[in-house]
Amino acid sequence: MYASQSIIAALALPLSGALFCLVLPRSHHVLKTIVGVSAVELLLALNIWAAVLGPKGFVTAADQWFYIDAFSSFHIVVLTLVFALSSAFASIYFTHEADDLVFTTSIARRFGVLWLGAQTAMLLVLMSNNLGIMWVGMEATTLLTAFLISLHPSRLSLEAMWKYLIICSVGIAFAFMGTLLAAASIQSDGGIGADALFWTKLASAEAHLDPTLMKFAFVFVLVGYGTKAGLAPIHSWLPDAHSQAPAPVSAMFSGFLLNTALYCIMRFATPVRQALGQDFASGLLIVFGTLSILVAAGFIVFQRDAKRLLAYHSVEHMGIITLGYALGPLGSFAALFHTLNHSVCKSLAFFAVGRLGQRYGSHEMHTIAGALRADRLWGVSLLISLLALIGVAPFSIFMSEYQLLRAAIGAGAWLTLFLFLAASAVVFVSALRHMINMVFGTASRHDRGGRDGKLAVPIVVAAAGLLIVLGVWMPLPFYHALSSAAAVLAVRP
Amino acid sequence: MSPLIETIHAVGLLTCFALLATSRIGACIRWLSFQGILFGMVPLIVHDDGLTARAMLLAGGNIALKGIVFPWLLLGLRARADFNREVQPFVSFVMSILCGILILALSVWLTQEMKPALAKAPFVMLDSSIFLIFIGLFLMISRRNALMQVIGFLVLENGIFVFGVITVVGTPLLVELGVLLDAFVGVFVMGIAIYHITREFGSMDVDRLTELRG
Repeated sequence: MYASQSIIAALALPLSGALFCLVLPRSHHVLKTIVGVSAVELLLALNIWAAVLGPKGFVTAADQWFYIDAFSSFHIVVLTLVFALSSAFASIYFTHEADDLVFTTSIARRFGVLWLGAQTAMLLVLMSNNLGIMWVGMEATTLLTAFLISLHPSRLSLEAMWKYLIICSVGIAFAFMGTLLAAASIQSDGGIGADALFWTKLASAEAHLDPTLMKFAFVFVLVGYGTKAGLAPIHSWLPDAHSQAPAPVSAMFSGFLLNTALYCIMRFATPVRQALGQDFASGLLIVFGTLSILVAAGFIVFQRDAKRLLAYHSVEHMGIITLGYALGPLGSFAALFHTLNHSVCKSLAFFAVGRLGQRYGSHEMHTIAGALRADRLWGVSLLISLLALIGVAPFSIFMSEYQLLRAAIGAGAWLTLFLFLAASAVVFVSALRHMINMVFGTASRHDRGGRDGKLAVPIVVAAAGLLIVLGVWMPLPFYHALSSAAAVLAVRP
Repeated sequence: MSPLIETIHAVGLLTCFALLATSRIGACIRWLSFQGILFGMVPLIVHDDGLTARAMLLAGGNIALKGIVFPWLLLGLRARADFNREVQPFVSFVMSILCGILILALSVWLTQEMKPALAKAPFVMLDSSIFLIFIGLFLMISRRNALMQVIGFLVLENGIFVFGVITVVGTPLLVELGVLLDAFVGVFVMGIAIYHITREFGSMDVDRLTELRG
């Protein structure tokens, strides 16, 4: 009900919240505002999701400029979930910053504006029907999130921010080239209307697209948005940015910013498959996906910094999701399921490492030893999230990776399957080695830390609960939601 | 219309080589401003349907931003770093020019490859746009000064702008304005970033940004 209004409200609320943050007098007011806004956003997203899953199958607003189907509504729900969890965590995290990183009112205002602004921009990307506006939203996320990395300017965070800004700006510029080429590919067929860049138009069977231009377009889009999604070999900004940003920001980066970029690639993939057949797009996706998994596995072995470790895990999991999208309908289903699992799991992992890092005063893995004894709540969170990340059985990531294996076998992609399994084995062993010391080792020097506040336990229970429940039981409505989202990506005859 | 396009093409190539060979940042910024104004005029002359309000708005916006606002912002930033106003290339100026010639050959070849699919686009402008994109990338990776990375990015942006104007006629104005706004905010954000970097590191050299690795 009122789904169109929900779309407008979901965009207007964080935008006005961002402006509201500018005038708030105290830092804890800002934190309360972002928690409130993101909780309401989650409800709006669920409302939109319910409407999309109804008989009509999509929701539009503003004369089709906003168009949401099962695929985008699923991403919107994951986005708002990650934001709700990370906002709640931010309200804990920033009250315990070290002395040289005091969360002053001006920093808090800056954080609030950029945080809610980034949420608006990402929602714009997911809701927009126009590929041009989608690009504008994507570029806006880069510009808004750059200063979240260097919220506390230091040599390291400025270096990470500068690399992120420059590499992603170039990437996004390439994606714009791709968007232009896609637009040009319609044009060579005659007239171009105001709705020409609507992906609903491009993906429909009536669009006669120029195959050569679409081929160029997809390569540019894949490299361009792939930079932002952290696909190897163009992931080099990612570990720096993730390790230097404050933990809630890293959680948001890993938990959803990367998925936003992957979403854009998949929006282009459908018309490309329409124009060129399955093989071209799927082949490229398989190459980038597999390469990301392999490169990440190589770097995970040698990591010493806990946040960099998690960052390389993100590269790995983005590779896995990309691979899934290349492996037919079953693969797309697995990829979407994996998107939710990875986002929730990675957020929880960054929360745990962030809080533990504050208590131990470092993110070096040999310093964070014996976390389970030092801090019960976040030690357990770290244990659960790391086990889930490497694909241990009762957790949902195991299930989505298992479905992915089935899809790979079904598609007969044996080489990919072998490389994926080999890399997973490397990741499993080396991450386990890192984890055992961090979680079970003898506790090293740490401070007592402050109280975590009322929100800490609900955050952990929600995230860990989701990982465990979805690992053993998939509710039927959720199954249908994922299936219809995967069906959106299928090529219509 | 064609002679004017060819003039823009030729002068545009010269601005790129000037950027490759200039050692003073202030001079580079002025070349960039000139290039922005030059290519900002492309929407006015490339299509046969005369001076529409849309083309005027697009050209005006681009000339104002890339010819005046951005150079002004960049010159302001340069003034903060009065201790070093050279671009400090990783690749020497002579080598840069040679690379520029190679890139020119590459862009002509790529243009010939793409031309059949883009029948309407004038060849010289397509060549300009691809050349600008590559030169922009080359400037970004071959210069040590952070301002030169912004300048390189803007050269790349010019190339993409020209490409868009000649290949796509009917993109909605809303999208184009969004793109302009993003470019504006982008340069602004990079400017603030350089300001912070200069304050923290006492220099705009990006080769000091090497502590994060692995």
